[in-house]
Amino acid sequence: MDTLTPLQWASLALFGPLVVALVLGVVWPLRKAGGPAAGLSLLGATVNLAAASVLFVGWLGGADTVRATLPWLIHGGPEGASMIELGLHLDGISVSMLWVVAIVAFCVQVFSLGYLSDEPKAGFGRYFTWQSLFLFSMNSLVLAPNLLQLFMGWELVGLCSYLLIGFWFKKPSAARAALKAFWVTKFADMGLLLGLIVLFVHTGGFEWTATTAAAGTVTLLFFLAVMGKSAQFPLHIWLPDAMEGPTPVSALLHAATMVAAGVFLVVRAQPLFAQAPLTGEVMTWVGAFTALFAASVAVVQTDIKKVLAYSTCSQLGYMIAALGSGAVLGGYFHLTTHAFFKALLFLAAGGLIHAVHSNELSHMGGLLKRLPVTGWTFIIGALALAGFPGFSGFFSKDLILEGLFDAGAYGPLAMLLIGAFLTAFYMGRVVFMALLGPPSEHAEHAHEAGGAMTLPLVLLATLALGLGFFAGPMARLYGLTYHFHLGAVGITATALGLAGIGTAWIMFGPKQGLQGLAAAFAPLGRVARSGAVDKGFALAYRQALLGLGAGVAWVDRYIVDGLINVMGYASLAFGDRLRAVQTGNVRDYVYAVVAGLLLLGAFGAIVQG
Amino acid sequence: MSLQGFLLLAAALFSLGLYGLLTRRNAVGILASVELMANAVNLNLVAFGRWHGVVDGQVFALFNTALTVAEAAIGLALVILLYRSRQDVLVDTATEMKG
Repeated sequence: MDTLTPLQWASLALFGPLVVALVLGVVWPLRKAGGPAAGLSLLGATVNLAAASVLFVGWLGGADTVRATLPWLIHGGPEGASMIELGLHLDGISVSMLWVVAIVAFCVQVFSLGYLSDEPKAGFGRYFTWQSLFLFSMNSLVLAPNLLQLFMGWELVGLCSYLLIGFWFKKPSAARAALKAFWVTKFADMGLLLGLIVLFVHTGGFEWTATTAAAGTVTLLFFLAVMGKSAQFPLHIWLPDAMEGPTPVSALLHAATMVAAGVFLVVRAQPLFAQAPLTGEVMTWVGAFTALFAASVAVVQTDIKKVLAYSTCSQLGYMIAALGSGAVLGGYFHLTTHAFFKALLFLAAGGLIHAVHSNELSHMGGLLKRLPVTGWTFIIGALALAGFPGFSGFFSKDLILEGLFDAGAYGPLAMLLIGAFLTAFYMGRVVFMALLGPPSEHAEHAHEAGGAMTLPLVLLATLALGLGFFAGPMARLYGLTYHFHLGAVGITATALGLAGIGTAWIMFGPKQGLQGLAAAFAPLGRVARSGAVDKGFALAYRQALLGLGAGVAWVDRYIVDGLINVMGYASLAFGDRLRAVQTGNVRDYVYAVVAGLLLLGAFGAIVQG
Repeated sequence: MSLQGFLLLAAALFSLGLYGLLTRRNAVGILASVELMANAVNLNLVAFGRWHGVVDGQVFALFNTALTVAEAAIGLALVILLYRSRQDVLVDTATEMKG
């Protein structure tokens, strides 16, 4: 396998899925056949995983940055500078992200074989076409050599997100959710586009390594897009609704990879972000608030996918806060570990949903006995998310908290610590309600699904369990160093996590204790479930739109129409005065001509002197 | 012959034409006055051409004659139409174009 260069492997990873998507998109009989389409898509994902793994192993051994670009949109003749370059950029950051995407995408596609096996053949084929398209889009984002290509990938994954959320487009709620996700993220993407324009105006290029005085503006605009894509408050509203899509889609796009694109952008454009301390400050606070806010909303959700969706918002908040305060390693490492354990949680939740045909936690219960593999892998994911010592989430979350502590951001740190308690609490709640306890009537006949659905879980669980011990090699990929060290912050966070699990055990375990506490927080729960932020947006949007409409109507009625009317009236009045000149008598016209002639003559005489 | 004599004659002809143009009520008279003015101009052109020793003045005079002929044709056609509709050719009563 030494015959292929890294660039060739990367091209294989990038274009393999694209070829699959194009073939499936054009050859409709193949797509409508369902099974063969899935096979082809899985082949693409396997090639992608193989290529990504080869690259990943190569870069673990310490390879230099490899970059190949083709000029595009050349201006000023053949030797003129090219405005834009397209190509591949391989370094530790892009290769590790490529590998994460490849593994999760592979697991998700295998899982989907089982999860969507009841779909009609045409829908099955359509699903895998879009999965392949997504894989290509995500790879082109990850491997982008400049921010413009990253933007193209960014928009493409947004499109795939829309298509896959609306996979069951005959369901009105799914169609609405797809549109909502599209609108919200498109609104935010304007920030990225505007940021790119400002960057181009100031530096004449789209490089993330540029040094510019406008870095503050550029990064703030970028951060708007990050807030949309990575579901940061208050633009997080689309993510919980996006759960209308099939669960494997939620695992791949809305937990592991696409929503992490925002975080990836910050990591990628770190040289730019490092020039903008204000943006970092904003990011830290927004991220920390989102982490706390989303975690507290997750506590009261009754839909297992909604819990995980809010949890994703919350965890992305951790990453954003870390990157804002300069803890790049923590933010990026958490992206990696989160991708694995959250994909695992979603896929395992998909397994539970598949078994009981319901998303509601109250319809589950006692599922650990009936679905041991799914149940145990879910517990591993939950422990990783809760930051249980030894699991991957423990290491990455500790890095984030230590980073914030070192940066002196104590306010956000406090929010994140409370968030850590809540994270452990809501995951404990899900585990005790869905997996332990008495089974509901829905859960009576639940049984484990086939290998297609359990093997990906085992693979992801292994990574969720073990990746934390590879923080050192991962840090080297990003050009950083890592030393394990458990300080006071880490111990506090761990204690809070354990306390969260304990509280969940008391409240939702067999004893069902502390009902007074639950009752005390009930009003808060009602507020959280009512979708106040959504309503606020709707209200603000409506008011803003109505206000704008009224303003435009006023301008149209009184300024534009008024101007036209005044002009019309003035013409009429002037014409009325002027008609007296036209007597109809030929002699008067002749007099006028003669008078004009005399005037001209007089004028000429005066000018001549 | 001096240039001055021609110019004086032309000015007199022009003034006569202008006077006729302004005072005649009959449209045919007005047309005749316009012809007189045009010919005053022709006389000027030829006189200046001769004085400068070039033929340009004569060429212009020829063009001007052609123009005047065309103008007279149109003018007379208008006069005939005016007569058909009004049974007279008096311009100061024909004020249908009053604004």
